Amino acid sequence: MKRLRPKSVRNRLTLWYVGVLACILAAFTAMACVFQFTILRSQVYHDEIQDVETVEGLLYFDTQGILRLRQDYYSHPQSRLLVDRLMEVRDLSNNILYRSDTLKSMSLGRSDQGVDEGGASFNERTEKLDDGTRILMISHRHPVEGKMLLIRLGYSLAPVIPRLERFLLSLLLAFPLALVLAGFAGYRIARRALAPLETMASRAEQITANNLGGRLEIENEHDELGHMAKVLNSLLSRLERSFLQLQRFTADAAHELRTPLASIRVIGENALRPDQGEEVYRDSISSMLEETSRLNQTVEGLLLISRAEAGQIQLTVASFALRDLVEEIIDLLEVVTEERNIAVVQRNPKESETLVLADRTLLRACVLNVLHNAVKFSPVDATIVCSYLKVERNEQKLLRLSVLDMGPGIAIDDRDRVFERFFRVREVRPSTEGAGLGLAIAKLAMEANHGYIYFDPASQNGALCHIEVPIP
Amino acid sequence: LGDAVSSHRVLVVEDEQKISDAIGKGLRESGFDVTIAPTSEEAFYVLHSLRPDMVVLDLGLPRRSGMELLRQIRSMNIQIPVLILTSNNSLDDRVAALDAGADDFLLKPFSLSELTARLRAILRRGRQPAVSEFGLADLQVNLDTRTAARGGISLQLTLREFDLLVYLFQNHGRTVSREMLARDVWHETSRFTPLDNVIDVQMTRLRRKLDDPYPQKLLRTVRGVGFILGEPSE
Repeated sequence: MKRLRPKSVRNRLTLWYVGVLACILAAFTAMACVFQFTILRSQVYHDEIQDVETVEGLLYFDTQGILRLRQDYYSHPQSRLLVDRLMEVRDLSNNILYRSDTLKSMSLGRSDQGVDEGGASFNERTEKLDDGTRILMISHRHPVEGKMLLIRLGYSLAPVIPRLERFLLSLLLAFPLALVLAGFAGYRIARRALAPLETMASRAEQITANNLGGRLEIENEHDELGHMAKVLNSLLSRLERSFLQLQRFTADAAHELRTPLASIRVIGENALRPDQGEEVYRDSISSMLEETSRLNQTVEGLLLISRAEAGQIQLTVASFALRDLVEEIIDLLEVVTEERNIAVVQRNPKESETLVLADRTLLRACVLNVLHNAVKFSPVDATIVCSYLKVERNEQKLLRLSVLDMGPGIAIDDRDRVFERFFRVREVRPSTEGAGLGLAIAKLAMEANHGYIYFDPASQNGALCHIEVPIP
Repeated sequence: LGDAVSSHRVLVVEDEQKISDAIGKGLRESGFDVTIAPTSEEAFYVLHSLRPDMVVLDLGLPRRSGMELLRQIRSMNIQIPVLILTSNNSLDDRVAALDAGADDFLLKPFSLSELTARLRAILRRGRQPAVSEFGLADLQVNLDTRTAARGGISLQLTLREFDLLVYLFQNHGRTVSREMLARDVWHETSRFTPLDNVIDVQMTRLRRKLDDPYPQKLLRTVRGVGFILGEPSE
């Protein structure tokens, strides 16, 4: 069964269409034939009634009292359906008074008569003669010269049958022609309807990783195919976006990796020049190892970011006091802040007790990066202020931790770019240079936690970083 | 502790020759007896013929992977400590390796000092000597009273400084890297946290208390590698 199924939707549609049409045509033909037969029959009855009325005027009793039909008057009906009148006349006592020669002594209808056969009006019915001829006959009572007679008049059905056959034949001839025409039209329509699909398919085939910018054409965006094309196009857009991101990421990464590699190479080449002392070797190797650990940090950071962007980092969300986390980080950084006599103070003790809902490890990485930056960029004897405030954003309740340092601040243009990976503020001394991924990771950490991180544009002195964490 | 490992044979299964040579050299200098096998098949042969005391196993081997070898070793009920080397830092890999019966897990690139320290830790496992007092030159550290003194004069150390000193003591004579300190003293699980700065400053402060007042310096920085607590140098 499966093997007979046509492969293309177009052929299947056409086949179904033709099949259904054939069924409908067959039913239609049957109904038309029945209808035609009914019309012909009623026409025959109608003509017969007229014939009966004519014949009634031609009947008379001759001098011997025998009933006769006047022959000198042409009394045959015009209808071509009526050939060879069959007639029988009986009196009410069922004596046969007249029988036409065409009957060849056969009885027309039953030999007895019903109580009121032909009494009310013209009775119409079909009968069968003894020789098997099917006839349509009329019974009617009519007085002739004062005597009530029952007139039975009939005609053979035979001339009707060929008519019906001709009618059926013409229908049957038209039948396959109609099917072929309809099938052809159906095929064309199906092909036209499905043509956009083929265009889409061939267009989609041309779209590869190298030209993800290509889109499917949309003829009518409100029909089903247009809708599908739209859905596919938005899929392509998403793919293109992430692909571009990936390309940029790879390019950035390669660039970042190349810098330490270049240092290692140059240092190595220098060290291998002849007549270098042990001191030079030691120094060179140490430098190379330092570059290696920088490379390693970059790679670790990149892997972390790519995993976070791919959504592969599993969150362990818990509720905890943000203040505890901040204090833990301040403790961790204490040696550094003490060394440079930097004070880190916390404001709004009441708000700071508020519980937040987040992945503690990720949030810790974020706050640690921000605070570490604040310490790094603040001068000796500076004060870093951490303050807390409950805010609402898009009907989401958040606790905002604001970290204000006394460093050079961030240029307006750089406020968003600092969160890009590998972004570094240019004036920074090389010694404080990290992998340039800290804030990118902080931002990813906040995004994963459904929070926000941004630098306040209004801050006049020092950088003011806001970290907003959801409240349960 | 240094002498305790002298008789230990380590099988290093690593296909990258530069790395296996470097590991072999480093471990030999630390007193281990090293055999190198570049493939699983060879490793399996060495396991049976030389009966090493521990295995350093790279996961990315040609043909049969390190993980397969590990499973085979464990399925044959060979109770040999195995330290896994891998370049894939995914939690799944770590869990899979530990499930398959690995004793420890080290991510590439690693420092030689860390590898040596881990191997020693595996050897020490289960028979940790209950020493509560260490001494190095005129430095005395008491774990029970959590006090340290140099030349009989008590050093005023913070909790973190004391932990740091103990850790350096346990690895004395050997370099400890910043990664090792971050993990073992600061207990930092993520490798991407800006701790290097904190560690350096902390080390400077410890040195200020430990070494600055004395002519004999015990704590040295090995640039590009880490720190070492050792016999006094001028």
